[in-house]
Parts: sequence; structure tokens; C-alpha cells
Amino acid sequence: MTLNHHKAGQLLSAYLDGELAAAETAAVQDHLMDCAACREAYEDLRVTKAALGQLPPAEPPAEFWAVVREPAWRERAAAPARWRWRLPVLVRRPAWAIAAVLAVLALAAVPMIKGTVDRLHATEIGVDLYVREHAFEMSTEPLTDRAYLGLVAGDADLVLVGEPPRAEGRR
Amino acid sequence: MGRPAAVVSMVRSDATQAASYTPEELARYEAIVQRYARHVYNVAYRMTGNEADARDLSQEAFLRVYRALRRVERDAPLESWLYRIVSNLYIDLLRKRPRQRVESLDAPLETARGELTRELPDVTANPEAIFERNQFDSTIQRALGLLSEELRMVVVLSDVEGFSYEEIAAMLRVPLGTVKSRLHRARQMLQQRLRPYLEARRRGWEE
Repeated sequence: MTLNHHKAGQLLSAYLDGELAAAETAAVQDHLMDCAACREAYEDLRVTKAALGQLPPAEPPAEFWAVVREPAWRERAAAPARWRWRLPVLVRRPAWAIAAVLAVLALAAVPMIKGTVDRLHATEIGVDLYVREHAFEMSTEPLTDRAYLGLVAGDADLVLVGEPPRAEGRR
Repeated sequence: MGRPAAVVSMVRSDATQAASYTPEELARYEAIVQRYARHVYNVAYRMTGNEADARDLSQEAFLRVYRALRRVERDAPLESWLYRIVSNLYIDLLRKRPRQRVESLDAPLETARGELTRELPDVTANPEAIFERNQFDSTIQRALGLLSEELRMVVVLSDVEGFSYEEIAAMLRVPLGTVKSRLHRARQMLQQRLRPYLEARRRGWEE
């Protein structure tokens, strides 16, 4: 196998790297014996390759190691919603927990206290009078059925004056 | 040279199932970091030429490894996949920054007082500097930066990291002949730019 000058020149890098087949390697060697220009080109390539090989490895900065060793924190930063909800909300926010408990207590306490006050009031003035008063009070509220309240108040009036309520009388 | 299909398929990793890794899996990740982190960072640094981009790029590469950890076959050769990620990330980086201009060192520099010719550091005038590691490093790094990214990637993988043509072809998914011709062109261009510097350096050693 013989090579022309141009072809041999193209193969010099691969020859330098030992990446040529045996026949090509021998042919390049033959050409190098005869051709001073290719010998010089070969030497230049060799020096260039050697220089690149002598480059000191770039030293990664400390932050690089911190991130690469613990990429989990980046996952978290990338998807905050996913990991946050794994902790119960009441553990993360004790103030919210206290507020929620107070709200529940208040909601339960208000009707309880109001109910007790009403019952005391009813015993004091008599059930029928209480029903009558209460029906009148309620009639000022916008969404109540006033006709029905009128009936209730009327029945209470009848009882108060000693008559049986109409509803029972009709049945 | 065939790569296991499982390794190739990992590229399409998007799942983030990281939270539930077992201690063994985390140990495996740590082993991958131990083995490849410096090399990946070094390739990224030689490609980008600056610390900030090299750090971002190699961190991103390892984040992908971390996410795809379950799909990484035990003892599978990771190099091919890992360096392909680095190469792709670098191309993405270039796409995101089209405004960044590559300046040729041969082009004259326009100034108010007229054109100035840029020169690589004239080490013959300052023999001490020949031995300075930083000078050597930055001169070669600058010459690397003037290559197209295709040529640079091949020459970095071959001459800086020492991979074979076959390995590089698998990493970059290009034919063997392409690796061969790119490498040759890259070395020729580097040699032209670096010749004065390298000759002066050699003379400095001989003195």
C-alpha cells in the first residue's frame, strides 16, 4: 500500500493516536521516511496533542461538590408543593392550629350559651309567652315565613287566654 | 460499539422520584459522582472556558443522572451517556446565548486610535512566564475557544480526556470517520495558533 502526500497528511492524526489499521500504519511509516514536510507536520501534531494532555484538570469549586453530592435539595426547590404537603399542615403552622381550635370552640359555645339563656328566659316567663315573643322577634328577620310565625303567635295567644290552640282543634 | 439500550433510554428521563431512593441507590449515586464528577467538570470547563458555565452545566448533568438513577443499569458504562448529556447541554447553552460572539484572535481590534493587532502572549520576551501553569492553561484554553464546538468537543474528549475514536463516536453519535476528520482538523487549527507559543515553551525548557 502506497500513499500520496495529501492522503498521508490526512492520516497523520490517526497514525499518532494508533487508530489506523496495520496496512495503513505501515504505509504512513513508509511515507514519513521519504517526506520531510510530513515528518514536520507529524511532529507539530504530536506536540499539540501532548500540550492538550498536559493541561491540568480544572478543579471544581466547592459549591459544585455541595450541589452534586446533595442534588435532593434541588429537587425540593424545584417541586416545593409536593414535599411540603407531606408534613401535616398543623405541625408546620402551630398558630393556625390554635386559631382553628378556638374557632371550633366559639362556634360550639355560642349556640350553647344562647340556648341556655333562652331556656332560662322561657322558664321565667312561661313557655307560651316565650313562644309568642320569640315568634314576634323572628318575624323581623328577612327570610322567615311570616304567615307561619303569625299562626304560632296566634296559637300562643289562644293558650295564654285559656283556649285550645287552633291546630289541635281542627284535627 | 453497542451501548446497552437501557442506558440510551435514560436520556428521556423526566421523572422526579428522587425522594424515595434507598440507601443502596444513594450509595450508587455517590459512587458515580466519585468516579465521574471531576472528568465531567473538566470537559465542561474546557468546552465553556469559564467556571460559572462549567459548574452549571456539570451540575445539571449530574441532576439528570440523579433523576434517572433507577434506570441506570448497575455497572453499565455511563461515560457515553454522561458526555452526551454534557455535549447536548453545551449546545443548549449556546442556543440560549446567540448574542455571545466568538471573536477570532486573528481579527484586528478596532480602537479609537485605529486598528490594533491582537497577540497571544509573547512568551519569548518573558521566559519566566513559560513555566507558569496559568499562562499555559489560559493560552491553550483560548485557542480551544476559537474552534467550532464540534471540533472542540472531539479534541477535548480525545486529547484532554483520552477517549478512543470509537468511544467518542458512541458519545457524540457520529460516524468513526467523522471523529477522525474532526480531530485532525481541530489539531491542525490548534497547532497553527499555538505553534509560536509551544515552540517558545520548548526552547524555554531546553535552555
